[in-house]
Formats: sequence, structure tokens, C-alpha cells
Amino acid sequence: MTIRAGSLDRRTLLRGAIATAAMGSFAAACSSPSSKDGDGGSGPKGEKSATNPFGVAANSTVEAAIFDGGYGTDYVDYTNQVLGSQVKGLEVQVKPVVDIAPQLQPRFVGGNPPDLIDNSGEDQIGFLGILDQLEELDDLFEANTYEGKKIADIVYPGVKTPGTFRDKFVALNYVMTVYGVWYSKTLFEENGWTPPKTWDEALDLGQQAKKKGKYLFVHGKEAATYYRTLLIDSAIKEGGDEVRLGLENLEKGCWSHPAIQGVIKVMETMVRQKMFVPGGSGTQFQKAQAIWSNDQKALLYPSGGWIENEMKKATKADFQMTGFPSMTLTDKPALPYESLRAAAGEPFIVPAQGKNPAGAKEVLRAMLSEKAAANFSKTKLAPTIVKGTVPADGYGSTALVSQTTMLEAAGTNIFNYMFVETYGMNTDQLVPWNSFLAGDLDGKGLTSALQKISDKVREDDSVDKVKVS
Amino acid sequence: MKDTIPTAKTASRRPEPAARGGRPRRRKLTFDRVTFFLAFLGVPLAIFVIFVLIPFGQAIFWAMTDWRGFSPDYNFVGLDNFTKMFQDDIFLKALRNVALLAVFVPLVTLTLALGVAVAITLGGPSKGPVRGIRGASFYRIISFFPYVVPAIIVGLIWAQMYDPNAGLLNGVLTGLGLDRFDTFAWLGEKATAMPAVMFVIIWGLVGFYAVLFIAAIKGVPAELYEAARIDGAGRLRTTVSITLPAIRDSVQTAYIYLGIAALDAFVYVQAMVPNGGPDNSTLTISQRLFNVAFAKQQFGYATAMGVVLAVVTLVFAALVFLVNRLTGGGEGESKRKAPGSKARRAAAEGGAG
Repeated sequence: MTIRAGSLDRRTLLRGAIATAAMGSFAAACSSPSSKDGDGGSGPKGEKSATNPFGVAANSTVEAAIFDGGYGTDYVDYTNQVLGSQVKGLEVQVKPVVDIAPQLQPRFVGGNPPDLIDNSGEDQIGFLGILDQLEELDDLFEANTYEGKKIADIVYPGVKTPGTFRDKFVALNYVMTVYGVWYSKTLFEENGWTPPKTWDEALDLGQQAKKKGKYLFVHGKEAATYYRTLLIDSAIKEGGDEVRLGLENLEKGCWSHPAIQGVIKVMETMVRQKMFVPGGSGTQFQKAQAIWSNDQKALLYPSGGWIENEMKKATKADFQMTGFPSMTLTDKPALPYESLRAAAGEPFIVPAQGKNPAGAKEVLRAMLSEKAAANFSKTKLAPTIVKGTVPADGYGSTALVSQTTMLEAAGTNIFNYMFVETYGMNTDQLVPWNSFLAGDLDGKGLTSALQKISDKVREDDSVDKVKVS
Repeated sequence: MKDTIPTAKTASRRPEPAARGGRPRRRKLTFDRVTFFLAFLGVPLAIFVIFVLIPFGQAIFWAMTDWRGFSPDYNFVGLDNFTKMFQDDIFLKALRNVALLAVFVPLVTLTLALGVAVAITLGGPSKGPVRGIRGASFYRIISFFPYVVPAIIVGLIWAQMYDPNAGLLNGVLTGLGLDRFDTFAWLGEKATAMPAVMFVIIWGLVGFYAVLFIAAIKGVPAELYEAARIDGAGRLRTTVSITLPAIRDSVQTAYIYLGIAALDAFVYVQAMVPNGGPDNSTLTISQRLFNVAFAKQQFGYATAMGVVLAVVTLVFAALVFLVNRLTGGGEGESKRKAPGSKARRAAAEGGAG
């Protein structure tokens, strides 16, 4: 019979197919480095002048890859309305991107990155890995705005810091982000509650909430680390710079600082007394946030100023979202109650190998014009780094008003920290935080898990460290 | 089966010239033959080399560098990435998780798929010709439905179903009076996260393998079943002693494909538990790889993980082949006494005749 030969052929074919499928796993290795052949920055040049400080060629275009997240991308598109007034025919072409690093990585390796990138979102590119491929932006801050004032003079203080790495200022962070705790003013007034200033007051508020069948906090599985932000903010206010520097420099035992431990202990009590909406560690974070903003089952939510815009469609009518600075541990903290974490966010970078780096800088200058900055605050309900573009009524947004108020009250007592983003630790930290907030891990376990994550980075020689002081 | 007959005959004729002349007769390289080889051998081979073999070799090389991913600079670090990997408790946990997936997902999926296939093809009344249960074609279509939905959507839908506060699952369970499932976090509890993920993968794939098995069972001659029935074999006995041995090649192939899918599982876990689940209990190697590459910018290290994943996949495939061989299947034609090969031979002959 001839069956055997036939079946053998089929089997060989199947085996080949299986081997191919197995080898497909190797494809996960992504694109490989190629030789450096980009002749960056050699694009068309124009004459430098007062209205064209970077010498952009007229009628050129700028390719901008903009993170399509909470703020969308239309605000960069909007600059086309002001660009032409200074450089004739300059146009920015916006490409919305969600996964910045995976999508742009091949273009960096290939030496043809976009001219302008909003390097933001969950998949942002770590700055240390691309530092030597970026244009320094000092000349941007020396240039004048479209209104004729020096840019360095019209922005909030310290906005250069989050965009400076190893003394190189490479990222312009456009949006001013204020971190705090958010609540519904309407709901609090109805019940005669006041926002807590200390953790003890928060504990009391939690008891009162329970009487009404509500919870104090809610957390979502992708955003459990918002409580890490709240923890660190409170601890820095309590213990001052030594807390911040310990964490930033990944020091041994930095998570065991008494200020941090004090806050963790209160949080642990809150978890044990069931003041967190149960099931958070299995809930998608925006659904969890809606439990607070729409169902009003939870009273407070720690987050950044983007929260109002993010939950716009899932917020109860007349919610009056308002923020207040993170609670202090004792009534004698190292920094005053009004101090808070605020940082310029949405880092815009200009790759040196792009085709039109001068044009990209010109787009940034246009974004810092009064018209474009006011447009951003109005449509996104968030302040930019340009001072004085938010009117007193905050375009009808209580959250925007409270951000400006908090910033003014804090004055110079503004701090920030970057270690989580710098070393890409958020994903690892989410694990113990979800366990802790679900009640499966106690404060001690949380501390040692967080310490282990920091230790691992410190002891890994292949990771570049940034010394913070 | 009928389709294979012409192929088989052609194949059998091939060695004839060699047998007659003692030496294979060389044919002239006519234009026809050259173009035929180029089109049907050269092109696929080139595609295979360029898109499979070369990346394969490159990956092994990059796995031994400290490449950061965004610039062309790198240093050669030898096997450092691999030693680091096997001291990394998170990676080891991911390895354990994918091992669990590779064991349970194929086993449960194929058992269920076989059950469905048998019911649809052979589960009918025991009188008259061998046939499926009533409405077999309806069930066949229904069981295929989940497979039509893309994996990412399956993942997202189930993520909503599992939602502790607003999910359908808890709603139904509490509706039935099981109050302890009020706000129960299926994907947030260490004990349930992995089984919940496995359930979704199995739910999504059973239909496809059921259809695959139905096709295989239809190739088994009905006479065999009739004979077994006359001998007094029940449905379970028929399934274990006739159906399973007769379609064992299909089962082996399905097992390996499913194993590869389960070792990856990226789409499902990313949709349901993007951060590795409670205490990393659902973290897969592919997720870890993605995180190490794009969040930590250690592309060299991530590539090393990809290499290990590929090795694990190959080992898995080899294990399945080995088990199949040891239990009497595969190409062990010398072991004709094994019941499996006998049944298959019988099936094959029946199919041919």
C-alpha cells in the first residue's frame, strides 16, 4: 500500500509548521540595532531672525508623534493656527501615538525619529536610554515668546527640573500637574464633612462614611500605586528632604523611614477596617474611579490634576470636584500642610536626528504662546507651565480652580520625585500595592516588598543610576 | 482521506527509476524545471531564511548583549543575561506560571473538545447508522462561536464579566443567593486569578479544536464503530479505544499548537490582568519580556528571555512527541503491536478503501 508515504509527508509538513510556530517566539526579539546612517539636523535651513529664532526653513513641515492619552492631541494641532504668523508656511503634522516606546523604538534605532515627540503615557521611552540622541532645549528658554517676552520668565519656577537629566535639559514638560486628594464638594457639604488635614482626621472621616454605608477610598488594579504617591507625598511633608532623597537614591532601608512607616500604619488600619471599596484589586481602574466620581460609594481619591478631564463622562452632575493637599501625619510636619507635589508633565522631546529639529523647537515656542496655552487650559481643564493663563473662574471648572489655588498656597513649597519613572518600577510596585490594599499583605510585607524592588535596581550594575540631591 | 490517495501514489512512484537503473536518472534542467524550482522552492526557502532563520540567529546574538534598544550601541556580555534571569525571582515565577498554563490549558481544552466532537459525531441513538446527537450541526456552530471573536475582545469582555462590583458573574452568583461572591475579585485574589484566566483561554479555544476533532473523527470508517457496537462497546469505551487512537495524530498536533498558545497567552493576560495579577500569580514570560524591554529599556535582557521562551516551547513540543511515541503512537512503525498504531492503520486503510 502507499498510505505510509502519504502520511509521512503530511507529518513532516505538520512538524515543519510546528517548528515555524515555535521559532515565532524569537520574533519577540523586536528589531535589532542597525548602523548609524541618519544625517540628522541637516534639513533645510532658514534665516535666523527675531520672529524665527531657530532659523526654521519657510514652508517646511514638522512631524510630531504625540501621545494620545488624557489630553488628546488636538492641542498640538492647534498650534498651526499661530505658527504661520511667525514663520511663513511652517506646518506641524500630528500623528497620535498611544504606545510611544514600542512604536517609535524602530525609528530611533533606524536613525529617522520624528521631529517632535510627546514622550508620555504608560509606555514612555526612558530618558536615560536616549539622552545622547536628544537636542538640548536651553536655547528655547532663552528665546522670546510670540508676545515678545523671554520664555524663561513666563513659566512656573522649576519646570526645567523634570526635563533635566545629567545636567542636560532635553524635555519640555508642558502641563503643570498637581497631585492631591480629590472629593465632591457638593457631597461633603450635604453631609457636613470637611476634607481631612491629617491622617487621624481621615480615619475619623472613614468612620463617618461607614455610618452612611460608604467607603473612604477606592482603588483600581492598574492604579493601586496612586496610594504610593499619596504615601510618599505625606511622608515627605512629615520627614522632609531626607525621605525624598532616600527614595530617589534607592538607599538601603529607605522605605523603613519612620515618616513612611507612620503613614503605612494608618493605611493598614484603614484597610483592616474595610474603608477601601472591596474588590479594587480586580477592578479596571477607570471603573474603580467611577465608583468614586459617579456612584459616590467612596469619598476620596488620590490622583493628579488630570482626574477631572479623565472622568468627564463618568462624573455625577454637580459633583464640584475639588482637590486638597495630601494629609500630614502629625501636626508638626517638616514641610507645611500646604506644600505639595507638583511637577510639569507631558515631556516634549526633540530628537537630534530628526529632519527638522529647528521646526520642532518653533512648534514648542508656539505652544508656549498665550493663545495656545490659554486654549489648552480651556479645552483640557489643566494648567500649562505658562503662568497666568487660567482665569479666576477656571472656565467653570472647580478642579482647575483648586489646582491654581493649591499652587498659589504652596508658593515655593513644591517638591517632586522621579525614581519610579526613571527606573520603570511602577509595574513591579503595583503587585504589592494591590495585595496590600486588598488586605492580603500587611504593612510590614508591603515595606519589604517595596524595599526589595528598590534594592534590586540599586544592585543591578546594568542599570544607569541618577544621583539626586 | 480520499484526497490523500493521488498524493500517496505519486510519492510511491518517485523511487522507481532509482530501483531500475541503480542510479537516479538526471533530468535536464529545462526552463520549465528551473522556473518551477525557483517559484516553488526558492521563494519559500528565501522567505524562511530571511524572516525566520536570520532573526533566529540574531536573537541569540542580541541575547548576549546589553543593548538598550534606542541606539545602535551595545556591549557583548556573554551569558550574563541568562545567569541574571535565573536569579530573578519574578522571571522564575513567570516561568512557573507558563508551565502551569502549558499543562492545564491543553489538557482541559482537548478533553472538552473531544467530548463535544464525540457527542456531535457519534453520540446519537445506538440503533441505526452511527450518527451524532440531535441538532448536532447546531451545537457544532454554537461551540465555534467564541473562536470567531478575536482573543483581545474575549479578554476584554471577560475582564468586565469578572468585575467585582459591576460584573455579570458576581451578579449571577449573588442572585443565586451565594452572598460570599458579593464584590469578590476573581482577578484580584491569588487563589482564583490563574484559574479565571485559564477558564477564559479554554472557553475561547474549545470550539476550534472541537471542529478539528470532528473532521478527524469523520475520517474514521463507520464500520469500525459498527463492529465495536456489535461487540457491545459503550460510548465511553468506543471513545477511549477507537476514536482516540484513530485520531491521535490530530490530538498531538492540537496539543502542541495549544501548548504554544498557552506558553504565550499574552493577549489574554494583557487584557485581563495587565500587571501580572495578584502577587504576580498570572504573570507570563511574554509580559515580563515586554516590561523589561520597553519600561526598563533592557532589550538585550528581554531578548534573552525570548530565547528562553523559545527553548521552553521547543522542549514542550519535544515532550509531547516523546510522550506520544512512548505510548505507542508517532512514527514507531516497528511497534505494530501497539494498539494505537493498529487502530490507526486500520483507520487509514479503511479511509483509503
